[in-house]
Amino acid sequence: MTSTALNLNYLQAKKGIFSWIFSVDHKRIGLLYLYSLITFFLVGATLGVLMRLELLNPGKDLFEAQTYNQIFTMHGVIMIFLFIIPSIPAVFGNFFLPIMLGTDDVSFPRLNLLSWWIYIIGAIMALSTLLFGDGPADTGWTFYAPYSVKTGTNVTMSVLAAFVLGFSSILTGLNFIVTIHRLKTPGMTFLKMPLFAWALYATSWIQLLATPIIGITLLMIVAERVFGVGLFDPSIGGDPILYQHLFWIYSHPAVYIMALPAFGIISELLPTFSNRTIFGYKAIAFSSLAIAFVGYFVWGHHMFTSGMSGPARIIYSIMTFLVAIPTAIKVFNWVATLYKGSIDVQPPLLYALGFIFQFMIGGLSGLVLGALATDIHLHDTYFVVGHFHYVMFGGTGFAFFGALHYWYPKIWGRMYNKLVANIAFFILFIGFNMLYFPMMIAGLMGMPRRYYDYLPEFHLPNMISTFGSWVLAIGLLLMLGNLIAGFRRKREKIARNPWGTGITLEWQTLSPPPVANFDRMPVLPKDGPYDYDHKPEIKE
Amino acid sequence: MSHTKDNLPKEEQVHITSYKDHFSTLIALLLLTVITVVISVFGANLRSLSVFTALLIATVKVIVVAYYFMHLKYDKKIYTWLVLIVAILFVSFAVLTSIEYLNR
Repeated sequence: MTSTALNLNYLQAKKGIFSWIFSVDHKRIGLLYLYSLITFFLVGATLGVLMRLELLNPGKDLFEAQTYNQIFTMHGVIMIFLFIIPSIPAVFGNFFLPIMLGTDDVSFPRLNLLSWWIYIIGAIMALSTLLFGDGPADTGWTFYAPYSVKTGTNVTMSVLAAFVLGFSSILTGLNFIVTIHRLKTPGMTFLKMPLFAWALYATSWIQLLATPIIGITLLMIVAERVFGVGLFDPSIGGDPILYQHLFWIYSHPAVYIMALPAFGIISELLPTFSNRTIFGYKAIAFSSLAIAFVGYFVWGHHMFTSGMSGPARIIYSIMTFLVAIPTAIKVFNWVATLYKGSIDVQPPLLYALGFIFQFMIGGLSGLVLGALATDIHLHDTYFVVGHFHYVMFGGTGFAFFGALHYWYPKIWGRMYNKLVANIAFFILFIGFNMLYFPMMIAGLMGMPRRYYDYLPEFHLPNMISTFGSWVLAIGLLLMLGNLIAGFRRKREKIARNPWGTGITLEWQTLSPPPVANFDRMPVLPKDGPYDYDHKPEIKE
Repeated sequence: MSHTKDNLPKEEQVHITSYKDHFSTLIALLLLTVITVVISVFGANLRSLSVFTALLIATVKVIVVAYYFMHLKYDKKIYTWLVLIVAILFVSFAVLTSIEYLNR
């Protein structure tokens, strides 16, 4: 084979739809996930905007209460199971983990493709509830029993969809763990691995160990609905609090499936745009494992008002405060990385800074909810909705967008309009905070969540919130439009290291990368992955 | 008797479990199954301890399978640690949930 053929990039290597949907190339699978995820994200975001429209004024604006319940359930199911859980690992993990490790693919490429297909099947099952049966579930994305056992809506199909999607998550986690253990390039030890890989490693263990628990729990819901076995419904001898235990044993660690990869992204963006080594490499790496481990023992803080025992509530509250420690370690190290750095303000850095600001609000409001005394007042109010959107969207969502802008030139070999990207960021940032901060105020005022209607005294924060949703939607459309327009711009040759200061191995290969990832052996920096003092020289 | 392919470099040496080890594992599993059945049929007066006893025997079976059949005994110690951490996690889930239930 000629060297030109070897350097043929993965986008040009084969043509046609089948060369994509049956590809075992980790880069193409990453993009399959990206296109699917963005599609579902837009559906979920549209449902979110519709909910905000309904809540613009007290009373009925657009649809009936039952429809509202179904819309917020679909919004939650789509955003949680179809977007944010798979988001960063499935897209950027798939695309960049093998390249960052200096290898040519994940350990099990066919399993990787299978996990995308399982994801698509699960997504079709979830969305089919819109068209078939008795309509989408109206339980909220948590499927709390005993209501989920009794409601006449299509809960069975929704939980089976989540069950199927869980397999996709498990397979991806398994693949990444084996890849990290077995396929690192010679010379790359665990402590010379990029922090994004560390974050994915910690995440993968959670995916592998926690997801089976939600799988079994969801099957128990189906068993209860179909056979009436009496697991969760107290009228037939079940225990509804048991459902909440089983659900949150998975779903709290799942919060870290969503957040840890985002931490990994931020740990990549900050050194590049500060042009200096990351502060506290080992602390950041090990804090990922600590978060993954301690995160397993805090699920009860979702259940403080469920009627569970007093001693258990105290234990879970203490454990919740413990998990804040490794999280704070990361934030302090990120800020220290920026200190005295040679900062280059580019769109990805703006998203990273937006992440830190919003994630801090989300994290600190989390402590308010982790404290037993304050949670009793704020549980099931809009404060909780504001809090988790700050963590999930303001945190992980912004990290996802930051990663998209960071690796865009590497993935597609093109560049977007940076000015428009900056403007889109500020619109997004303003819209986001307009949308979610008033929710916290409304929650502190006592407005309960999941309600179709509200008292007139909550009108102002709801109005501001709805206006914010419009600003956010404009920002999102501008950001995505700018990225899509980037494809249509005249193709120019993109350098291997277009930011000039990227140091991890993906910046040593061509943009876009060749099928086998590298056209020449990647060179590791001497003292770890962020050793800017011995940065390998990259020739085009 | 167990042996290795000595002609390979150390990092590529593969441990091959002998028939004797496999057969002993099978016998142990069968015996433990018989004990489980006997206790469930004849040990009905164990009451709440019957669940604990069944779990205990199942745990021993898991250890036998993981240790011999799944090669944990001959693998690097890191894999034993990983399995232990997972076991600790699952036991913690059960213990924490039970503590909550018993104190309600």
